Amino acid sequence: MTQDAEKDIIIGLECHVQLDTESKLFCGCPTTADEPNSACCEVCLGFPGSRPVLNKKALDYALKVSMALNCEINKEFFFSRKTYFYPDMSKNFQITQYEIPVGKNGYLTLSSGKKIKIERVHIEEDPAALVHESGMVMSKQTLVDYNRSGVPLVEIVTAPDMQSPQEARDFLDQLTTVLQYLGVFDEKDGTLKIDSNLSIKGNERVEVKNVTGKKGVEKALAFEAVRQKGVILKGETISRETRAFNEQTFTTRALRSKETEADYGYIFEPDLPAFELGEKYLNSIKQGLPELHDAKAKRFVQQYSLDEYTAGVLSRNSSLGGIFEEAVKSVDVGLAAKFLTRELLGILNYNNLSFEATEIKVEELVGLMQMLEKGDVSEKNAKQALIKYILEGVSPSKFIEEQGLKKDLDETGLQKAIETVLDENRPAVADFKKGEEKSLHFLVGKVMQATKGKADARDIQKKLKEKIEAE
Amino acid sequence: MDATSIADFVKQVVMGKISVVQHTEQVLSEIESTNSEFNHFNLLARDLALQQAKEIDAEIKTGRHKGKLLGVPISVKDCICVKGIESRAGSKILSGYKPTFNATVIKKARSEGAIIVGKTLQDEFGFGTFSTNTGVDFPTPLNPLDKSRSCGGSSGGSAGFTALTEFTHAGLAESTGGSIACPAAFCGVVGFTPTYGRVSRYGLMDYASSLDKIGTMGKTVADASLLLEIISGHDSNDSTSLPEPVTSLDEGKGEAGLKVGIVKELFEKSDEAVRKECEKAVSEMEKLGASVKEVSLPLNSEYGVAAYYLLSMSEASTNLAKFCGMRYGLHGKLEGSFNEYFSKIRSEGFGKEAKRRILLGTFARMSGFRDAYYLRAAKTRTKLINEFKEVFKEVDVLAHPTMPVVAPKFSEIKKLSPMQNYAMDLCTVPASLAGLPHISLNAGAVKKMPVGLMLTADHLQEQKLSSAAFSLEGALK
Repeated sequence: MTQDAEKDIIIGLECHVQLDTESKLFCGCPTTADEPNSACCEVCLGFPGSRPVLNKKALDYALKVSMALNCEINKEFFFSRKTYFYPDMSKNFQITQYEIPVGKNGYLTLSSGKKIKIERVHIEEDPAALVHESGMVMSKQTLVDYNRSGVPLVEIVTAPDMQSPQEARDFLDQLTTVLQYLGVFDEKDGTLKIDSNLSIKGNERVEVKNVTGKKGVEKALAFEAVRQKGVILKGETISRETRAFNEQTFTTRALRSKETEADYGYIFEPDLPAFELGEKYLNSIKQGLPELHDAKAKRFVQQYSLDEYTAGVLSRNSSLGGIFEEAVKSVDVGLAAKFLTRELLGILNYNNLSFEATEIKVEELVGLMQMLEKGDVSEKNAKQALIKYILEGVSPSKFIEEQGLKKDLDETGLQKAIETVLDENRPAVADFKKGEEKSLHFLVGKVMQATKGKADARDIQKKLKEKIEAE
Repeated sequence: MDATSIADFVKQVVMGKISVVQHTEQVLSEIESTNSEFNHFNLLARDLALQQAKEIDAEIKTGRHKGKLLGVPISVKDCICVKGIESRAGSKILSGYKPTFNATVIKKARSEGAIIVGKTLQDEFGFGTFSTNTGVDFPTPLNPLDKSRSCGGSSGGSAGFTALTEFTHAGLAESTGGSIACPAAFCGVVGFTPTYGRVSRYGLMDYASSLDKIGTMGKTVADASLLLEIISGHDSNDSTSLPEPVTSLDEGKGEAGLKVGIVKELFEKSDEAVRKECEKAVSEMEKLGASVKEVSLPLNSEYGVAAYYLLSMSEASTNLAKFCGMRYGLHGKLEGSFNEYFSKIRSEGFGKEAKRRILLGTFARMSGFRDAYYLRAAKTRTKLINEFKEVFKEVDVLAHPTMPVVAPKFSEIKKLSPMQNYAMDLCTVPASLAGLPHISLNAGAVKKMPVGLMLTADHLQEQKLSSAAFSLEGALK
């Protein structure tokens, strides 16, 4: 698809983010549990006579999200009841915000610099989870797990400002980065559910409901863009409807037309008071906001003279940026940046690990970088130690010590090893002299082996060459 | 025979002059023998009551007793949750439902030594003025003074039994639009409804959450006030519960210096005989030292009933959505889609008036009608509250007939259209909509049927009501 062809695509997103609080939105039940239906009480089960009490932490988090997304804060707001019948709804109504959300009229900047308008940020409760033990089609019964009932969510609604599935994906990447910085979303266990709207300019819009994860949204939107253009090419009209996404086939199918859409009959939630947020409280939330990734990247470029790309990579994850800043107190900026963006992220990506999934300690990493800088360990062995640390938790300094990988090799030792290797591998030496570059690599390997990788490959190569040429 | 007041009863219990077990047995037998005739109870909590009674007797023997309600039998309106005791809010749809937790008011009453004797009959979920809108398969409670007449509603069983019993007793009742004052007036007892939020609603099965108030029913102002004082206070489990400290509901300084406002419209709209009894009671207040003047509540009299029914039905239609045969209460064979199953259970489990209010309430909040009905009613409510606030700048307490009529005969009630029926609430609805505390006490009688006088005070001014009612009650005896 060319850039031109995409200019007529219009995409808007509604993102439902599970807030990473200890307890639920309106009761004291924990948000995580091992056994189904083990973390619920009369409130999240919707027993008659039970009442909601707002979890202040969830409000704090929602305000942080609103502020980080540059929203205006409604200092006075209330909750509403959205009533519809569904087996996952313990009360057959959801407590949410309708007329007045916590935050409105904000924006989030894409990596291209384009600003996407945030129309609203509001707080609501998650319904229970419906469980189909043998899959949606084969299961004879539907089970309900109320552990999820009442888990706090923020819904973030954008204006229809995105023009391609890639832009939508970028939006979600930026959003999850912000959420990660704020520490309000658990990217590993928390869910991100997205309803997306896509239309082709001049045509009706179609909603794809309930897609989990960023990749899914991109795929669903890509399918919709192609499908809708196909419909138009055939001379048919696109009907306003809601569609579901199939995560196996990456396709969407019609769920219901607009005419049959539910009317939720919102009323003010009468079991909760209207809330008034004081200046002092709002200021304390504002002051508690961390420096976000955009600002951090800009600062890294200025303060450390990093290139924009590296600064961007280092600030995409708040922990990584933190480690970097800790490292450069004692280690060269270039070395730290390279070590973290190439080696550390490389290992994490290769093993499909998120930063939060590991228990990386700053001191260990900084220690390793210091050894590297002093020349106490070779790049290769440093990487080995890092892998061992990330995957098995073995302390790098201990690992290097125990394996005898410390670069205690002096110049005479290295020269001696080179001479031995040259003596034992005359045919390879001869091949190299004939112009076979590969043979030199073979010899380097042999020297590395003999010196347990304590010497740098480039250094060995240089010395080997000098020695052979001098023969 | 006058029953012993709660305060005196507790004194005798403490002195060991009354055996709580024996007294409880007597009350339970009275309920058993009268209930087939009057239908004041949905359920008798015999085992729970006797167990509590035994515990209290044992405590008294060891001298470890405490509590202002020691051994006092308390009846509980069916809509208030009692742990482990079937609680149905008068509805078939909650058949078999035994709450897993006690309502806060139950906890508070029990911690003062109260004995829970059973659940009293009511209009289903509180949807009525005469306790004739009881749930499917539920009987109708009868007025102890004339069995052909209504006890009033919706706390009909509560008022009926309070009037009927020969023993010391008080009732935990509930009002949304007048459901404590109305039956109290029709049965000739005292009904005390607090400021909205003064008493925790935790454990109250909702009718309309922004209007529901738990209050009390007693033979005397002293009994109703004592129980109300005990159940009042902030509760962190109810977000709409008020933080203000509870004032003691005592005899105070009575009518001396009290400014009483006679609400013109509500007198005018009441039956002449009822009006005269109330006028006599007000002149007693004057004799006791109150200054009396006429005040007017034109907006409340004109729009109160309409705003009340729109809001209460809208809220009720959402509060009742949770009853669908899935998690508790009435169940059926699982057949068809969840929609079909929910509809089947709801069709079977709800009575006619509940269905009417769900339909009307849902209509009033649907897009296209929401602005004209639900939202307009909500805005009207603010105006009506402001009208009260203006009047309370001039007077301390408002007075008017609780009900425009005496308890009607069932044959008369049958002839009422729903609109005529709703209009019966015109005197109790304004204070209810504004969340104002009010008390109904017996002012006299018309052909032996009691007439209630309703006194209303500004928010949190319950003390003014108890104080005024104490001395007026004494003067009217």
